Amino acid sequence: MQPTNTSIDSANPILEVAHEATHHDHQDNRMFGFVVFLLSESVIFLSFFAGYIVYKTTSLNWLPEGVTGLEVREPLISTIILVSSSFTIYVAEKFLHQKQLWGFRAFWLLTIAMGSYFLYGQAVEWSGLDFGFSDGVFGGSFYLLTGFHGLHVLTGVLLQSIMLVRSFFPNNYAKGEFGVESTSLFWHFVDVIWIALFMLIYVWQ
Amino acid sequence: MTNIPIDAIADIRSPEKPEDWRRFFGFSTDHKVIGIQYIVTSFLFFLIGGVLAMVIRGELITPESDLVDRTVYNSMFTMHGTIMLFLWTFPVLLGLSNYLVPLMIGARDMAFPRLNAVAFWMVPVFGIILMASFFVPGGSSQSGWWAYPPASLQNPTGNIVNGQFLWLLAVAISGVASIMGAINFVTTIFRMRTTGMTWFKMPVFVWAVLAAQIIQLFGLPALTAGAVMLLSDLTFGTSFFDPAKGGDPVLFQHFFWFYSHPAVYVIILPVFGIFSEIFPVYARKPLFGYKFVAVSSLIITGLSATVWVHHMFASGTPDWMRMFFMATSMLISVPTGIKVFAWVATIWGGKIKLNTPMLFGLGALVMFVFAGITGIMLAAVPVDIHVNNTYFVVGHFHYVIYGATVLGIYAALYHWFPKMTGRMYSEGLGKLHFILTFIGTNACFFPMHPLGLQGMPRRVASYDPEFAFWNVIASLGGFLLGISTLPFILNMVGSWVQGEKAPKNPWRAIGLEWLVSSPPSHENFEELPIVIAEPYGYGKDAPLVSNPDKLEIAHATN
Amino acid sequence: MKVRLILTLGTVAVAIAIISLWMGQLAHTWLPPQASAESILIDNLFSFLVTLGTFIFLGVFGTLTYSVLFQRADKYDYSDGPHIEGNVKLEIIWTAIPFALVIWIATYSYQIYDQMSVLGPMEHVHMMASAEAANTADVEVEDKENIEVYSRQWAWEFHYGDVTSTELHLPNNKRVKLALHSADVIHGFYIPAFRLKQDIIPGRVIDFEFTPIREGKYRLRDSQYSGTYFATMQTNVVVQSPEDYQQWLADASSNVPATSYNRAASEYAKRPVKGNWQTVIPAAPPVVNYSSPN
Repeated sequence: MQPTNTSIDSANPILEVAHEATHHDHQDNRMFGFVVFLLSESVIFLSFFAGYIVYKTTSLNWLPEGVTGLEVREPLISTIILVSSSFTIYVAEKFLHQKQLWGFRAFWLLTIAMGSYFLYGQAVEWSGLDFGFSDGVFGGSFYLLTGFHGLHVLTGVLLQSIMLVRSFFPNNYAKGEFGVESTSLFWHFVDVIWIALFMLIYVWQ
Repeated sequence: MTNIPIDAIADIRSPEKPEDWRRFFGFSTDHKVIGIQYIVTSFLFFLIGGVLAMVIRGELITPESDLVDRTVYNSMFTMHGTIMLFLWTFPVLLGLSNYLVPLMIGARDMAFPRLNAVAFWMVPVFGIILMASFFVPGGSSQSGWWAYPPASLQNPTGNIVNGQFLWLLAVAISGVASIMGAINFVTTIFRMRTTGMTWFKMPVFVWAVLAAQIIQLFGLPALTAGAVMLLSDLTFGTSFFDPAKGGDPVLFQHFFWFYSHPAVYVIILPVFGIFSEIFPVYARKPLFGYKFVAVSSLIITGLSATVWVHHMFASGTPDWMRMFFMATSMLISVPTGIKVFAWVATIWGGKIKLNTPMLFGLGALVMFVFAGITGIMLAAVPVDIHVNNTYFVVGHFHYVIYGATVLGIYAALYHWFPKMTGRMYSEGLGKLHFILTFIGTNACFFPMHPLGLQGMPRRVASYDPEFAFWNVIASLGGFLLGISTLPFILNMVGSWVQGEKAPKNPWRAIGLEWLVSSPPSHENFEELPIVIAEPYGYGKDAPLVSNPDKLEIAHATN
Repeated sequence: MKVRLILTLGTVAVAIAIISLWMGQLAHTWLPPQASAESILIDNLFSFLVTLGTFIFLGVFGTLTYSVLFQRADKYDYSDGPHIEGNVKLEIIWTAIPFALVIWIATYSYQIYDQMSVLGPMEHVHMMASAEAANTADVEVEDKENIEVYSRQWAWEFHYGDVTSTELHLPNNKRVKLALHSADVIHGFYIPAFRLKQDIIPGRVIDFEFTPIREGKYRLRDSQYSGTYFATMQTNVVVQSPEDYQQWLADASSNVPATSYNRAASEYAKRPVKGNWQTVIPAAPPVVNYSSPN
């Protein structure tokens, strides 16, 4: 009986064994694993969201003394920029698939700039707030949520920077574009989380 | 099949020399090496956790707090639980899963071999952090393995680096390592099954590992969230769980149990998988209702996320919540019951051989059924209001976690010992180990049920004299359990060093791992197997694979 | 053949049932005396579960024992057993029957819990709701003995209006309503003889009700781990006739409040600082009209 999908080259059994080692598509597995990772990571945010909701709906003293609410205008601008950066990173990825490296780098760099603006905006907002991390459950949850998310934005920007530098290495994409694809997917993930976060913290006040 | 000179293979992939014991101490990416590293490392922590248990039982053999200071006793039960869960039970099952899953699905390794190694090496790291916590001022964490606030936030020394801090750090690292493992297993099982191995040709152990690792993926992040918030309260003075500052201590309990209940299924599912692999072999009959058993693992995974409040029936929970979770907790006994009946039906009418793995498997099964029954009692809220936080619960969960899980693990270690080491273990020592363990387990943990019913709380360093009788028996049983590990250690070490050489398939079992040498070569298979039959084909003379002669990697010294 | 099988199985089932029912009765002896109305409800449920559990355990254990004794392979027989993969009808039966049993058990348990009716409104928004509940329940309040329970590391303190005590006295056959407070960490209010337990959450007042039915002396123990001296946080529960109870209250109120005996504090006082891990210091023993001796 002849097995159908392994090439039995009995004249060269060494090559046949070597072929088996690379038979499974490593790139596919890495993306699968990365998606699984993102699904798990989203649960940690969901847990923090659940905590925020419980605190907001059951706390006797929600807002700290002297605090009436959060300014929405600047965070809204940051939100628009962050969400737009999902489009720019998507365009960059398309350029890469079409092997147009300069188009890729331009939109990729634009994404990095927008992500960095978001972080800058966050830092400005934080420094202007009149409550701290240990000011009640509101203070704690606010900084925990925005801080944890901010860390993800920072990670995304760093990963994008690394990918940008690597785009200059010759033959960087010979084994596929997993680095760029996963960084891009991560960025979309960060964006979706932010939309939920923005609704929860800034819209629902 | 031509004989390939071994140097030729060595040139291509430079595998480790098969007999080099040093690879067990290094950064190997071979899932078989990593599996054994997990098993051995975790067993060492099992012994450490066991020593702590000896101190506990030593204290409790008399009513007074007269063996160690109360703070030390509280540290003992806290660290006993923490070590036994995070440094023994989870890692040893990971080790077994790591070793077996690629072989059972016909793959050469896990999907991410380097991630696999990194995840393993985090275990000794957080193990050392946890052990170090004994030596900081104020000592280790003493708030129980649940670390409930506000008690866990009371830092008497006022130091930033205190036992509770190190505990939280260790648990956080453990969580990260576990998630790495979970990503690896889920990817491997989904993507790397060999040709012909459809979902319903996959051994139940692999189904069980998949079900367990999915739980890790959705459960651990919730624990991480709670732990981060607790750490923040402890170290930065935030008020998430501190009622004095407007926080909610019961919210921590929700975060904690949302993971920690499903965590017990992470533990028991692979053990169920072990039962499903072992009973067919030693009864020479197929697993009864294989498809039902396979699917029930995933049903358990789903339901496991809906029962957590049964740990909080006496806590700050309203009536409606208690009733809802009572219903879900009782419901989860149904898919579990399916498995139990399936195993009984597998064994019934078979040709039973009572060697060591089978003895441990049967002992584990019987104790599991007993634990399941006390579990239903605990799920009934009115009964739980009486026995919650008493020794009844301690007895219940030790029947699951020692009776079913540890004995199940022993069954697996004996069963696959020849495969892993290439040696046969001593059957006589194995049977002695079983007898001591079975008697010790029942002697130690059965008395805890009447103690709980009589009203003895858990986690107490001293108790009213009326509880003395059963405590003495429990302590003697505990000491017997300590002794019972000796024939096991002797057997494992002695047999590995100088046991009789094992053939490929000493048990004439049906499974991909039994078609290759003992131990398997570095790459597992020469040519990947092509599966053509469902598992557990006992009594049927049908081959499992279409290429059985092409699986073995030829060595010059065959 | 089939008739014989049914008869054998039937006999075995009946035998197991008889043993199970006997165990269910025996179960009552494993529990402390029934000192509250709720304890009778709970013990009946427990007995029912023991009966059912024994039946299931003996069924499974019996089947396995039979197999292990009478279905062993012969010494040199290495052949396989019959190739039986499953039986869908059996699978469905042994899924459906447990499912039905679960519904039965859950329903019965729900009914018992409902009859117990021990827990006050466990509103998350603590103090506000307690006050609300107190307002709406004014009529009911008169029929119950209201006692405030204060727990702290590591002492129990009870307030009967102006009278304070470290021992819990209760009038027999009268519904009592406790207001549970904690000053520091989570404690557990647990009286085994009553079969009742409720965690006490700091920052909330939790209402808890029950009816003692048997005069005697019982034990109250902290059931939620609360720190170093957790095991010492116990006191007596004395159920007296209503007359004796009123007498006790009157006698106690005439006592000048004095420092009570507190096991945690006295152990701590004797504890060497050197060589021991630092611990949370026990609160000062309560100063009360009536002090529990142990």
